[in-house]
Amino acid sequence: MSYREDNHVAYENEAVRLDIREKVTGKAKYTTDYYPKDMLWAGYIRCPYGVGQLRSFDKDAALKVPGVLEVEITKREGAYAGDRMGHICAESRQAYEAGLAALNAQFRSGFAKTDPKMEMTPLDQIQQPDNLPQANKVLEDAAVVVEATYQTQVQTHCCLEPHIGMVDFKGDHATAWGSTQGTFSFRNDLAGTLGLNNSDVEFHCEYIGGGFGSKFGAGAEGTLAAQMSKKYKRPCRVGLSRKEEQLDSGNRPGSIQMAKIGATKDGKLLGGRVHIAGVVGPTGGGGGARNPSRYNFGTVATTHEDVHLNAGYPRAMRAPGHPQGVFGVEMMMEELAAKLGMDPLEFRLKNDPHENRREMLKVGAEMIGWNRRKPNGSSEGPIKRGLGVAVADWGNGPGGATVTVEVYPDGTVVALSGSQDIGTGFRTMLGDCVLHQMGLPRKFLKVKVGNSTLPPGPASGGSVTSRFVAPKALGAADQARQAILKLVAQEWQTDAAGLSIADGVIRNGSREMAWQQACRLITDDRLTFSSSEDGAFRTRPTDSDAVQFVEVEVDTETGIVRVIKVVALQDVGQPVNRHTVENQITGAVIQGLSFALFEDRTLDPTLGAMVNADMEYYKIAGPADVPKIVPVLWISRDDVSVNSLGEPPVIPTPGAIGCAVFNAIGAPVRQMPITPARVLEAIAGMEGGRA
Amino acid sequence: MKPFTYEVADDLDSALTVLNNQRTLKAGGLDLVDRMKERIELPDTIVSIGGIDALRYIKEDGNTIRIGCLSTLADIGRSKMLAERFPAFHESAGGAATPQVREQATLGGNLCQRPRCWYFRSIDFDCLKKGGGTCYAIEGENRYHAVIGGGPCHIVHPSNCAPPLVAADAEFVIKSAKGERTVKAADFFKLPRESMYAENQLEEGEVLAEVVIPNVPTHSASVELREKQSFDWPMAMASAAKVNGQWRICLGAVAPIPWLSQPAMNVVGSSDITSELAAKAGEAAAEEAEPMAQNAYKVQLIKVAVKRALLIASGKQV
Repeated sequence: MSYREDNHVAYENEAVRLDIREKVTGKAKYTTDYYPKDMLWAGYIRCPYGVGQLRSFDKDAALKVPGVLEVEITKREGAYAGDRMGHICAESRQAYEAGLAALNAQFRSGFAKTDPKMEMTPLDQIQQPDNLPQANKVLEDAAVVVEATYQTQVQTHCCLEPHIGMVDFKGDHATAWGSTQGTFSFRNDLAGTLGLNNSDVEFHCEYIGGGFGSKFGAGAEGTLAAQMSKKYKRPCRVGLSRKEEQLDSGNRPGSIQMAKIGATKDGKLLGGRVHIAGVVGPTGGGGGARNPSRYNFGTVATTHEDVHLNAGYPRAMRAPGHPQGVFGVEMMMEELAAKLGMDPLEFRLKNDPHENRREMLKVGAEMIGWNRRKPNGSSEGPIKRGLGVAVADWGNGPGGATVTVEVYPDGTVVALSGSQDIGTGFRTMLGDCVLHQMGLPRKFLKVKVGNSTLPPGPASGGSVTSRFVAPKALGAADQARQAILKLVAQEWQTDAAGLSIADGVIRNGSREMAWQQACRLITDDRLTFSSSEDGAFRTRPTDSDAVQFVEVEVDTETGIVRVIKVVALQDVGQPVNRHTVENQITGAVIQGLSFALFEDRTLDPTLGAMVNADMEYYKIAGPADVPKIVPVLWISRDDVSVNSLGEPPVIPTPGAIGCAVFNAIGAPVRQMPITPARVLEAIAGMEGGRA
Repeated sequence: MKPFTYEVADDLDSALTVLNNQRTLKAGGLDLVDRMKERIELPDTIVSIGGIDALRYIKEDGNTIRIGCLSTLADIGRSKMLAERFPAFHESAGGAATPQVREQATLGGNLCQRPRCWYFRSIDFDCLKKGGGTCYAIEGENRYHAVIGGGPCHIVHPSNCAPPLVAADAEFVIKSAKGERTVKAADFFKLPRESMYAENQLEEGEVLAEVVIPNVPTHSASVELREKQSFDWPMAMASAAKVNGQWRICLGAVAPIPWLSQPAMNVVGSSDITSELAAKAGEAAAEEAEPMAQNAYKVQLIKVAVKRALLIASGKQV
């Protein structure tokens, strides 16, 4: 178990992401950049209130707007602000918007459920779990017990690129574009709507501006685009505005975590009772929060209830259930440690069953300077420093994908996968795996991803893309390498086993041949190699353990929290491209910080409309809010293959920040976001308690 | 957004000649375009004055500073003279929003922007300020709303350039086709109870053309307390300036106008500032506050902002 200070442990340690030039110059084309001839614009008519009854509308006036082709009302009762009540299809965006205005849909607002605390079932009326007697027994035996309620808010995905779908139906086939994290799932949904075979839809998603879990199938945007394109035999685009994004593209559900947890006096967790209320949409579920998790909590009686509000629905969001659950978990740990009078790091080391992670905790403590940690609330002056820590992990099961590698006589190597690069660096990861296995520099490489005509690959969910695809990329590249070595061996009239490639040069003893020269030995148009098997390239996966240490500064006069530094240790198995791996960790920490301190979907309590359906008052961390982040690529074993990365590093950040704030001010802020108002309230409560 | 006609004015006089209730002026456009996108503003014609360089200047003449209202916040941020002579204003303008916004946003636009109240900004709420019957903040989400001077509408004034100008007793030069007039910065802004549909005394056909600081303060500082350090509106701010030997203290983001705090000014008068005196001034400033359900924290922030602004203006540690 080790790390290197410069993180130079990846296959590629220097080169930046492959498509950096395309992205910063605007050459990279996203769905919104395509304007096929005769394209239609369609969009939804939406309910403005939490509960809205459509009272009146002027369909004739809307249809009279030049360019409006179709106005369809599909229902009269809306159950959340942003609920889809019908649609308009028009010749242009202007006509669509003018049609919407002319429709003049008037709604009567009903009573909207907006406060989860009002809607949740009282704890004593919840069906009690079978092991409650045992859990109550351990609480009786416990030397210390913490009883507290932790609350997390609804977080929206805020993909930089809004949801969009565009479909060009041609009778017996179609071409389509979309912003998605599932090339093939989006295509399949479109094919279903269009009544075509999957193979008759050519779907493009070469560049994507983020998904975070909200962009699996074709969604409302792709479906309407397909319906209108099929009906009018013209290309049709449906793209969400920023306001629509905030209302109706999914969210991370809120949670209310009621916990009563006990430990022995020497700091061993015994268990207790945890009830989770998940804060979800008007129907359905999806509000799970992973509390308890990570530590050996002992005997815990757990229950869960999804609380329904008249507000937008949850969708998977980067480690669904985890960051919010771990906020509760780590705050429980911190409060227990405080009651025990025990160092919270020592308390965690006692109760963390993962040997690898215990090692990470020790190393991370050195890196942040844990020995500087003062007892809770004891640092001098109005500006107080605090340290916190939190952990996570992620599994690394196998899964299907196919990668094709083509080698051309001019030396060009093309790596192909239909899977999508949602911004994580998948394109780069695929290419760098191939180069690593073939011993070639980047100048020979081309990578094609995000197109349904390319070999099948996974949707980007559950942090699977790299871990599923890398072994196949290495396998296909290995076949290609061996084939070229064989050609050279024939040329040299020797045994291929004695040949090697490094830096684009093939060697056998003192004989050398440049890669391009070797490729001229190819007699066909190109050589093609595909792999759909992990074979020897998936070796003994570890868990993708995560440990984060956070230092905060809290202005106790204003309640303003600033995160100063985050040390983020992350086990990713074998890292492929250092820059993109570090980017993923850093980005996850920023997203976690933003969740902990700022982001908050806010509903008007009367009308149930979201008052901050924008990116002005829906506050997201900006450059000046970003601390020094130190990503550490943790190597648990030298022979490990490529593991998960996307989700695990976002999990610990809010909990670690919560613990650091507790350490700084001496009182727990149990509700996120940790705003100045809440910090001041916690400080005032503490002072009141003392007096 | 509703389609509109776009006219570009070559000079202010020609813009003023055509200005009427059918035409809306656009300088940087940051505020206006947001409102047009949400369809709470539906102008038929926009007259762009953003390109008129004659109104883009920062001049120093002895103890007087004159700033053209089409100067961008970035222009102000780049002025070494303002950084030295009027730090309270320089920091507010130079640190507002983001670098991209500051390059586009003008001083005039910053001072005349409409409120950022989320009920006012949303087409879904027919609020008082938009001609409706209710201020939704009273029973609703009011964490960012006014704690002083509110009612019947509870907006806060969004400009972070206005408090230092009011504190410095600046004057605003207003032009129209008929001529020009000069008003005190403190008199320019209007409370909702005086003027529900406009936040200042500009009348139809009038444009804010120039800001004059007749007597540059000997001491000045602004303190803005924000949740985020990037691209955020302050929860509360205070500007302190010593003009002709007297302290003037103006609060921002807590009242529907930049709020000259008479109680705080009564405490400090012309005194040298000590930690104790600064804290007392903060307490006095907060006495006027009447918070709503979610914004009591702003009362504490007023105390801290006033205290720190006075200390920084006096060159003392906060």
